Amino acid sequence: MSEVEPILKIVAGTKTYGGVHAIEGVDFDLRPGEIHALLGENGAGKSTLCKIIAGAVQLSSGEYVLAGEPVSFAAPGEALKAGVAMVYQETSLVPSMTVAQNLELGMEKLVTDFRKINIAAQQSQQSLNFNVDPLALVETLGTAKRQMVEIARAVRHDARVIIFDEPTASLTPEEIQHLFHLFNRLRAQGVAIVFISHALEEALEMADRITVLRDGKLVHTGPAKELERESVIRLMVGREVTAMNKVELTGESPAAPETPHVHSRVLTVENVTMGSVVKNMSFSAYAGEVVGMAGLVGAGRTEVAQIICGARKRNFLRGGLILLNGKPIRYRVPRQAVRDGIVYITEDRKLDGFFETMTADDNIYLGHLASPKNRRWLYSRKERKQVSDRWVEALGISALKRSLKIIEYSGGNQQKVVVAKSLAQDPKVVIFDEPTRGVDVGAIPQIHRSIRELADRGMAVIVISSYLPEILSISDRVLVARGGRIVEEMASSEATEEKIMYAAIH
Amino acid sequence: MRDAAMPGAWRHYRPSQAMIVVILTAIIFVTLSAALPGFLSVGNLFTLARGISILGILGLGMAVVVIGRGIDLSQIAILAVSAAIAVSLINAGLPEGPSLLIGLLIAVLAGILNGFLVSVIEIPPLFTTLASSLLLLGLTRALVVPHYQVFLEHSSDTLQALGGTVAGGLPVPVIVFAVCALLLHLFLSKTVLGHFIYAHGDNAEAARLAGIATRPLTMLEYGLSAAIGYVAGVVMVASTSLMHLQIAESTMIFDVILVVVLGGVSLVGGRGNVMSVIAGTLLIGVLLNAMTIMNLNIQVQNVIKGGVLLFAIVFDSYLHPRDDETAKQGD
Repeated sequence: MSEVEPILKIVAGTKTYGGVHAIEGVDFDLRPGEIHALLGENGAGKSTLCKIIAGAVQLSSGEYVLAGEPVSFAAPGEALKAGVAMVYQETSLVPSMTVAQNLELGMEKLVTDFRKINIAAQQSQQSLNFNVDPLALVETLGTAKRQMVEIARAVRHDARVIIFDEPTASLTPEEIQHLFHLFNRLRAQGVAIVFISHALEEALEMADRITVLRDGKLVHTGPAKELERESVIRLMVGREVTAMNKVELTGESPAAPETPHVHSRVLTVENVTMGSVVKNMSFSAYAGEVVGMAGLVGAGRTEVAQIICGARKRNFLRGGLILLNGKPIRYRVPRQAVRDGIVYITEDRKLDGFFETMTADDNIYLGHLASPKNRRWLYSRKERKQVSDRWVEALGISALKRSLKIIEYSGGNQQKVVVAKSLAQDPKVVIFDEPTRGVDVGAIPQIHRSIRELADRGMAVIVISSYLPEILSISDRVLVARGGRIVEEMASSEATEEKIMYAAIH
Repeated sequence: MRDAAMPGAWRHYRPSQAMIVVILTAIIFVTLSAALPGFLSVGNLFTLARGISILGILGLGMAVVVIGRGIDLSQIAILAVSAAIAVSLINAGLPEGPSLLIGLLIAVLAGILNGFLVSVIEIPPLFTTLASSLLLLGLTRALVVPHYQVFLEHSSDTLQALGGTVAGGLPVPVIVFAVCALLLHLFLSKTVLGHFIYAHGDNAEAARLAGIATRPLTMLEYGLSAAIGYVAGVVMVASTSLMHLQIAESTMIFDVILVVVLGGVSLVGGRGNVMSVIAGTLLIGVLLNAMTIMNLNIQVQNVIKGGVLLFAIVFDSYLHPRDDETAKQGD
């Protein structure tokens, strides 16, 4: 490909959230009239990069050059004016307005001439070969048509760069063809297109160039022709596997294969279905075993965990079956699950994990008290100390700071407190959702060790994680979820990052 | 992010909001005593104390709901309605004890209904309690109390004593306030349910996931708010021998919210305690009394109260910001 002056450049782009790098030193460039695919695992930084380009997020350091001039957008609106538009996965249209009104959004005159905007909408739709009724309310449209409206809006703003966040995720094959057709037309007009995709074939087929991100760093940019499925997957997961193997992470030898003790099946999930997110998901968990569940965001892993623990409800009819020790269960509230010994440790501790106004001790003791098994009337400081002492020691929570509110703890200690809060309920089935997200590196092995200990004490442990080395290092058995189903099951001895990734993306 | 660097203890010392409010009250009190003739008279101080007590008792009830991250705009309506019904029953010849109990029962049921709507039907508390207060008031006017006010026709000594004074003029309502405050303090700090209410207000979803029965808990919160409000209602009846339903349509509920928020019971939930309510009550009580003595007209009073309430809420959301950004930043 001939060297064209790039329309957009990110130079040494870094974005940090509270000390954690979302992307780090990324050099990205985009040429006019190219289709550029962004690939990477969950959390690799694809979305962050797109948001930076679209002006929704600002760089912490580095430079953003648009058409040769350094720019800094304070808001997406400014980027749009400069010709950079983003088409979000969850569409950003106003559902109660018509298509024409939505196309006009942000460009309204003082008085809206409906006739005029309807005609303009009709024309812009026709020029793009769309057939969407400009008078239809957006809430009545399906996903594909909404996306068309978004694209039309981007085009109306004379966008020179259009970013698509997983544009094909909810489209049918025909609609995808239509979308790609449109990509080609836009390319012909000189528009640069960036799109995130988890569907590798699509990316390889459509894109002119492909950029692969991994752990916030750009690991590869190059023509799509030079890549193929296998090499892309290797680029996506290609960490130094040796540095992250089981022994180093947990400080113990791999526990899995040596003694195949008689496991009893504790939890059986059969054909569990919830809306369109979880579809016929089936798997089992055994006492004394850690099951890792890998998959991409949106594969229905968190949802199925929340269904099991009663935080969400599966479909009432044909919702499938969940058996606990052979008995069917269907919980209305999490309290019932806690009573039966099933606990779920959330992926976002700040959102629904801990009580931020309280100390670690209070958090742990409240977990203990919240279990229907430990019902009592008076709050006992003595018992609080006993319970929290026990868990502070068991999990190695930094004991210096126990009088502080939990919000002032480090991420690792917060996570340990949240874990302790659930373990104080004396569970039999523990579901961890992203147990080490936002946890300082030093605390990760400790958390992994406690997970292993739980299994050794005979609990059934399910670990949902998007971080493949974690899955590989702590699981006895690996499940891979995709599109609301479990699509692959393997022993951890057979599992590799490539195999898991292969199963997780379609 | 880091475990190191244990900060010195002094860095963590911050006077509580309640403390600041108490100091502020003291300053205003002293200023008013010097500047306003008649403010520092025994008579006025007792008037002040009496007025404060009712506001304070109401504030205690409201605090329970607000700590649980709700709000109860129907508190005054429930109070007025249940007290009016109790008074009507006494007038009709029913003994005092059962009448007052029936009033309490009605108040608690109304509170539980609020809690049910909020937790099970999941209607925002603001709308729930706004609508339920209207409903209750309308029903009562239509069925039980045709006029706006009911006079207590034959009162007993016990009820009158509740509105009177003891030992050198100390108003009994002050004692009622103190007892309520003490009981609520013990409930919130010494019982598991009290701690559950804090947990519920702090992070409702975390509380639910942990296995706390949040729906019954919500009903308990609103039930308590109504019950404590009813106590204030009975004290009002005892002091004035009448219940005027129009208080439900007055700005009194704003005074109560003002008391609660100003003292440090944040609207984001899980924060504040009985001390906060007492502090807020003192400040607002002093302000209201001073404005009455200065004979400010009601509009000016409303402007001042509204201004202070807005300021308190803005200050509260400044102290306890809660949006997606702060909730998600994983530091």
